[in-house]
Amino acid sequence: MAVTDPETRTPYGGARKGEPGKTFDEIWQQPRGLRYWSAVSHQAVGKRFIVTGFCFFLIAGVLALLVRTQLIVPGNTFLDSETYNQVFTMHGTLMMFLFAIPILGGFAVYLIPMMLGARDLIFPRLGAFGYWCYLFGGIILMSSFLFDAAPDGGWFMYTPLSSNEYSPGAGPDFWLIGITFAEIASVATAVELIAAILCARAPGMSLTKMPIFAWYILIFAFMIAVGFPPLIIGSILLEAQRLLGLPFYDAALGGDPLLWQHLFWLFGHPEVYIIFLPAAGMVATMLPTFVGKPLFGYGFVVAAVISMGFISFGLWAHHMFATGLPILSLTLFSAASTMVAVPTGVQIFSFIATLAEARPRLTVPMHFILGFLFIFVLGGLTGVMLASVPFNLQAHDSYFVVAHLHYVLIGGMVFPLFGAFYYWAPLFTGRMMSEVLGRWVFWLMFTGFNLTFLLMHLTGMRGMPRRIATYPEGIGWDRLNLLSTLGSYILAAGVLLFVVDFIRHRRVGPHAGRNPWGAATLEWLYPLPNPNFNFHAIPAVRSREPLWDQPELTDRRAERIDGVLRGTADSRRETISCDPITGEPIQIARLPHPTWTPFFAALGLAVAFGALLASFYWISLAGLCFSVLVFLLWAWEPSDAGVLRPDGMGRTLPVDLADRRSHTHVVVVGLLLVLFALHASLIFGGLYLWNVVPDFAELTVRPLGLPLILAAGAALAMAVAGTVARRWALSERIGASGAMSGLTALLAAGTTAALGWAILPVSPFDTALGAVIWATVTFVAVLSAAAVLWGLFNLARDLTGATRPGQARHAFNLATYAKGLAAMALATAGLLLAFALTGGA
Amino acid sequence: MTDRADSTLGVFGAQSSLLPAGEGAAAALGLTNAMTLGGAAIFVIVMAFVWLAWRRQTGGRTWWILGGGVVFPLVVLALLFVASTGVLRAVAGGREDAALTIEVTGHQFWWDVVYDPGGLAIRDANEVVMPVGVPVRIVLKSEDVIHSFWVPKVAGKMDMIPGRVNETVMTATEAGRFRGQCAEFCGLSHPLMAFEMVAVPPDHFRAFLEDLQGDAADVAGPAARGREVFLEAGCAACHAVRGVAEGARLGPDLTRVGGRAALGAGMWPMNEGSLAGWIADVQDMKPGANMPSYAHLSGPDLRALAQWLGSLR
Repeated sequence: MAVTDPETRTPYGGARKGEPGKTFDEIWQQPRGLRYWSAVSHQAVGKRFIVTGFCFFLIAGVLALLVRTQLIVPGNTFLDSETYNQVFTMHGTLMMFLFAIPILGGFAVYLIPMMLGARDLIFPRLGAFGYWCYLFGGIILMSSFLFDAAPDGGWFMYTPLSSNEYSPGAGPDFWLIGITFAEIASVATAVELIAAILCARAPGMSLTKMPIFAWYILIFAFMIAVGFPPLIIGSILLEAQRLLGLPFYDAALGGDPLLWQHLFWLFGHPEVYIIFLPAAGMVATMLPTFVGKPLFGYGFVVAAVISMGFISFGLWAHHMFATGLPILSLTLFSAASTMVAVPTGVQIFSFIATLAEARPRLTVPMHFILGFLFIFVLGGLTGVMLASVPFNLQAHDSYFVVAHLHYVLIGGMVFPLFGAFYYWAPLFTGRMMSEVLGRWVFWLMFTGFNLTFLLMHLTGMRGMPRRIATYPEGIGWDRLNLLSTLGSYILAAGVLLFVVDFIRHRRVGPHAGRNPWGAATLEWLYPLPNPNFNFHAIPAVRSREPLWDQPELTDRRAERIDGVLRGTADSRRETISCDPITGEPIQIARLPHPTWTPFFAALGLAVAFGALLASFYWISLAGLCFSVLVFLLWAWEPSDAGVLRPDGMGRTLPVDLADRRSHTHVVVVGLLLVLFALHASLIFGGLYLWNVVPDFAELTVRPLGLPLILAAGAALAMAVAGTVARRWALSERIGASGAMSGLTALLAAGTTAALGWAILPVSPFDTALGAVIWATVTFVAVLSAAAVLWGLFNLARDLTGATRPGQARHAFNLATYAKGLAAMALATAGLLLAFALTGGA
Repeated sequence: MTDRADSTLGVFGAQSSLLPAGEGAAAALGLTNAMTLGGAAIFVIVMAFVWLAWRRQTGGRTWWILGGGVVFPLVVLALLFVASTGVLRAVAGGREDAALTIEVTGHQFWWDVVYDPGGLAIRDANEVVMPVGVPVRIVLKSEDVIHSFWVPKVAGKMDMIPGRVNETVMTATEAGRFRGQCAEFCGLSHPLMAFEMVAVPPDHFRAFLEDLQGDAADVAGPAARGREVFLEAGCAACHAVRGVAEGARLGPDLTRVGGRAALGAGMWPMNEGSLAGWIADVQDMKPGANMPSYAHLSGPDLRALAQWLGSLR
């Protein structure tokens, strides 16, 4: 449709035009043909995540059927041990890393902008980059089957089984490299979602008026940002041990296999809640629609979700009750583990209270919600049982745990997800899925699921351990396994029928029209399928249920609804960006048009990781350099910061604000959060080894004191420089802020040099603690190198006139980064100094 | 003495935590029963709430959330915590008064067992014999990857971690044979890493230890040739047989191998046939085991070796 607002045709302040001559619709058009893959909009990226994630779900499901088929009778020879171990390892790995998180992330990427009143995510290219990393990581991992080197050490990769000595093949390398790559994707997506939720909402949508789904996703994203780093660090250390011989986990040189378990479960336990939360958010979104009343106890649910986020980081050790922890630790972790029942209970009872608000409609998604309540409550109760230590020592690593985790994950995630597919399919395709087939899908899945997994509780209590390819006849496991296997086939039939229904509905499903379920949230504002731009004009929001409470949104044709940013000033994609708390518009965010940069940036990394696997280190380095180059190109684009534009509703807003509330600053803070978590994981490793293996800590050569003091001084200076630079950047002293960028780069380099000097006498090969010290300093060095690159980049932009005079957003962001880097360098230097002062050889 | 005829192979419930024969397992079963009943009751109540909420449009009540989500779980969890900690202290405590120590070391994929390490230090493998009604300190180690020592009928599991020494106390309350199995995934033949715990009356146990201290029984006849084959084929490089070849520790101690109820770490019935099959075909029976298949032994040699090993009790 044509742009009607005459204001948007007038040039203001000489801003560049995006694609002049194109209408609003054309500007938001998805590219076609091969160029479709250059699309970075959230609709394209979200769908890619969902489809790819579902493919991995199907593959992992087939692997599960192989497992069940192998166990159908005792002593089966259908699969040999090696294949079986590969199959169950890949089943767990694919489900946890390549299905659950990415597909939920995909739903979030797809839904969040529509629900919050944005035309796109605020960093679309970051999402696209995340997708490509995920895809390439998944391909690297899956390619291990082609080389007959599929990992077979379990999805938990416990060392020393995964060390060179006991897994000389490339299996663990495929796992560690592929998964780390895919995790970068999850972290990138998480940071992007944090920024999108905090910075791009409809005018007036304060945090307390956000749809509940956005709260769930916000906490989900924060948990990924903090929860994935321990495993990323753990994996990098393990890979370094395999490639370079650094003895992080090698007991013979003062390492500890349990350090891996701590790092793994520091990630692994929050991971379970990371998977549960978005799915519970889906339930909390769908349920009110079918009841026809708002979610009961919104505030309680928000509080519960936030506290769940915190609690989930305090109970990882309940996966390690049998490792010989002291009784005091056992008791504390046991208590902490049971505590998570409280926020879960609050959510469940809030859902139940919502059900009581009005007569619910028994649709297909509602079936899945009821199935979720049934299965998940059971899984939660067995979870409480497992938190009891004496019981856990019997049930741990038995089929009881297999039953429990599938109750929690399938009940807590897969059932809501299938409900969500039925619920949101009209958004994707404009058509409704079948109510009849949907009921069949539900009942097949529900029956099959319970038959398979309810019995496993008993199988486990009868002593059957997990991860065994065969079991002896006659000790009480035969019939139970047979029935479980039959159940799994029924479950699989349900999934298969779902696939059939999904393919069928795209062609023959009835057209959905506008808001087919009578929902309350903004994603249903437009007739389906949704337009690519989501909103012609972004409406002001006054209620948590805008489609129910704001008649002006539903009493007219969607494109006539009043709102901000009708049309396109400067022929570019843009959306409104808000104050993170109040939701009041503070700036207009310019959004990227289709571009290949995310693809090539991820491709460079894929080459780097792939070559690492093949031991072609020079190619690996080249891939990495290529990637950095693409990132620089990506970031180079001329800035529109400082241009003022009317928002169409009487306000004049700046484009790309330089402020702490700006989305670019929020994303830097999000990035710092991830970096802090990575750094903290390394510090944890160091303190752990120092404490747990004191003999080897004594043997470790101490770092030099003087350079550490110098490093601390340089880091302090960097913090001061950052503070000053931030102030100057805001006061628009452009020359000075350029100089500060240079100074920051210099101080970062100085800090690293001093730290490097300090640890020269320490050998990374002699003791595990020495290796961790080197890893920590290397981490700070890499971050410093990034600061140097960033400083030079900013200087170059200032000198070439790529930035607007008076707008020092880039310097402001670097200054924030420098302060974070200074804090990490200071912590490193301080701890090393403490270590240096406590005697030693 | 232990009688190999009554091995746990194919015995229903031989590995079931629901049929306890030890103090730890009995205590855990008490908790299990209480929690299962309580959990089932809570499940029914919550589902009843769902049903009622669905049927009657009473409107939501805040006290449901606070009562059902906060107060009720806190009360139940507090009770559970007290009970569970009590049981934990009872199960895990009392390490001081265990008079007997047995050290078990995990290997891919078998168990090295030393009775009274530090004192008598008598080595055996793949069977843990202990006196009924006496607390026994079990010291757990590993020489390669992580394993986990689990006899569900007697007590909960405890991991065996390289570089660490774990300890637990187990008390069998009934005489009998109980199947144990490695519970931590440890590689290719993880499912084939089982063992038997044999609880015998204390005086039988003393007799067993005395018997075990002696050298392997000498034999005459065709089995004597088996002893020569054992030495010629290099078996002694890995396996010790007291009085014949001592010191090797890479493989299980074979001094009383014929006296064990099962072969291959609790997996196959012990008899000359399966011994011969095992020696000729280890890699097929137990993929990834560190012992090569001795398929090149001649038929008579193999039979003699199996016969000799079978006679070591």
